[in-house]
Amino acid sequence: MKAIYRREIQSYFYTPAAYVFMGVFLSLASIFFGVGNLAARSGNMLSFLSQMSYVWMLLSPVLTMRLIAGEKRQHTDQMLYSSPCSLTALVTGKFFAACTVLTAAVASCFIYALIVAIYGTLYLAETLVGFLGLLLQGCAFIALDLFISCFSRNQMTAAVAGMGVNLLVWFADVAASAISVKAISSALQFISLYQRFAPFTQGQLSLSNVFFNLAFIFIMLFLSVRVLDARRWSEA
Amino acid sequence: MITFDGVSKRYGVHQALRDVSFTVPKGQILGLLGQNGAGKTTAMNILTGCLAPSGGSVSIGGHNVMTDPRLAKRLIGYLPEQAPLYDEMTIRSYLRFACELKEVEKSAIPDHIEKVALRTGLTDVMHRKIGNLSKGYRQRVGVAQALCGSPEVIILDEPTAGLDPRQSSEMRSLVRSLAGEHTVLFSSHILSEVQSLCDRIIILHHGKIICDSALRALQCGERRLRALIACGEGALLPALHSLKSVQRVTVERGSDPGTTQVILHVSGDAPAERELFTLLSALQYPLLRLTPVEDSLEDIFLQATGREG
Repeated sequence: MKAIYRREIQSYFYTPAAYVFMGVFLSLASIFFGVGNLAARSGNMLSFLSQMSYVWMLLSPVLTMRLIAGEKRQHTDQMLYSSPCSLTALVTGKFFAACTVLTAAVASCFIYALIVAIYGTLYLAETLVGFLGLLLQGCAFIALDLFISCFSRNQMTAAVAGMGVNLLVWFADVAASAISVKAISSALQFISLYQRFAPFTQGQLSLSNVFFNLAFIFIMLFLSVRVLDARRWSEA
Repeated sequence: MITFDGVSKRYGVHQALRDVSFTVPKGQILGLLGQNGAGKTTAMNILTGCLAPSGGSVSIGGHNVMTDPRLAKRLIGYLPEQAPLYDEMTIRSYLRFACELKEVEKSAIPDHIEKVALRTGLTDVMHRKIGNLSKGYRQRVGVAQALCGSPEVIILDEPTAGLDPRQSSEMRSLVRSLAGEHTVLFSSHILSEVQSLCDRIIILHHGKIICDSALRALQCGERRLRALIACGEGALLPALHSLKSVQRVTVERGSDPGTTQVILHVSGDAPAERELFTLLSALQYPLLRLTPVEDSLEDIFLQATGREG
C-alpha cells in the first residue's frame, strides 16, 4: 500500500491535478472568506466551513477521476493487477493519497482562522470541530467518487459521472426536506452527507456522525474493491 | 514451473479459451503463437492474475494464481502488449516503484535497479521522463519493470510489436539473454521471431491448443528433399514412386530441358537418400542436386490453423 500511496502522491504533484485542485479550492475559499467574513466583518468560521462543504461536489472528482480510470487508459492496471499487491492495498493506497491532497487543502484554510484570531475572536474548539467535519465529508466524497471511477475507462467520463453522483447526493439532501412522506424523508436525511455535516457546522462533535462518515468511507472502498475484482471475471 | 489445467474463459457468448492445458518446465522459452483473437493475451492475462478463468486452474511454482495470488505473483514479471508506463515519472522512479510493488527489500532496491538498467541498456537514460522516450526505449523500460524483483517467470506479450527492425533485433537479443535463468512465456504472431527464440511452441486457434511441440520435433515431422535429376519426367516418376520411404512426389516447374526437379516427401527418419542413390545409379539417371527442404514455422502454422479451419 505504501508504494501505491507514494506513487499517487508523486503523480498528483508531477501532473496538474493537485495544483488545479488546490488552486480552485483556495480561490473559492478566498472568495467565501472575503465575502462572508471580511466584507461582513464576521468572525464566524463555521458558516465559512459550511459554505466550503459544497465545494467537494465539484472538486472531489478532480482528485479521483484518474485514480482507477487513468490506470486503464495508461494500461498500467495490468502491471498493478499482476503484482503481489492486493486490490485492497491498491484501493486504500489511492484513497489515502487523494485524502492527503484534500487534507493539505483543508489545512491551508487555517490561515483564515488565523486571520480571524488576530483581528477578531476565534472560537477554537468549535472551529476545529468544523474543520474535522469538513475533512470527514471531503474524504467521504473522495471514497464515493473513487467508487464511481472504478466503472469508467476514461478520466473525463469518471469526472463527469462523479460530479453527477455528487449532485444527486445534494439533491437527495434537498429532497429530504421537501418530501412530506416521513419515512422517505427520514431515510434520505439519514444517508445524506450534508445532513451529517450539519452538526459540525454548529460546533457539535457528534460521534455518531463521525462514525457514519467512517462507515460510509469503508463501504465505498469495500465496494470499489469488489467492482475491480468482479471486472477480472467479466472483462475482455 | 507453469501449469495450465483445463483453463477456459468465456466473455458472454464468446468462448475465448477452451480447455487449455499445458505445463512449462523451469528455464524453457515457450512461444505462444496464434492469429489475432486466438486467445494468447487472454491466456497471459489469466496466468498473471489480471483475469479470472471461467474454468480450470493456473499455478506458478506450485502456487495457484487465484487462491494463492501473492506467492504466485511474486514469481512473475509481466510485460503486456502495451507497456504499462507512467509518462510523468522518470525511469529511475518508475523502476523503484516496480521494485516496491514486487516487494524487493528496501535496502537492495538501488543496486537492483542498476542491475536491471544495465541488462536492458537503460543506464544512460535513467533520469529521463518516460513520456519523452522513443518507442524502443519505452519497450525496454517495460521489460525492465518485468525484470524487477528477479522473477522466475517472465511473460512477454508481443514485445516487438511496433518496433523498427533494429529495435526488434535488440529486443530479441534481450529476450534470448533471459533464457536459462528465467522461464519465459513469449507471444507473437511473427513466426520467424518465435522460431529464433523459442524451445517449444504452442499454437492457439479459436481458443484451443492445436499444436504443442518442441520446435525441433515440429520441423522433423515430415522431411522433404528437393532433387534435380537428369532424366525425363515420364520415365522418372514411376521409378520414384517405387521407393519405400517416399510417401509422395511433387514435380516442380522450371527445370532445364532434359532434367526433372522433384520434391520427395519422406516419412520421419526413413533412409530415402540411400534408396534414391541406389535406384538412380541402377537406372543410370545422374543425380545433379539433392538438398533438404526445411519447413518454415510459417508452413507449420498455416498447416495447423488450416486443418482446424
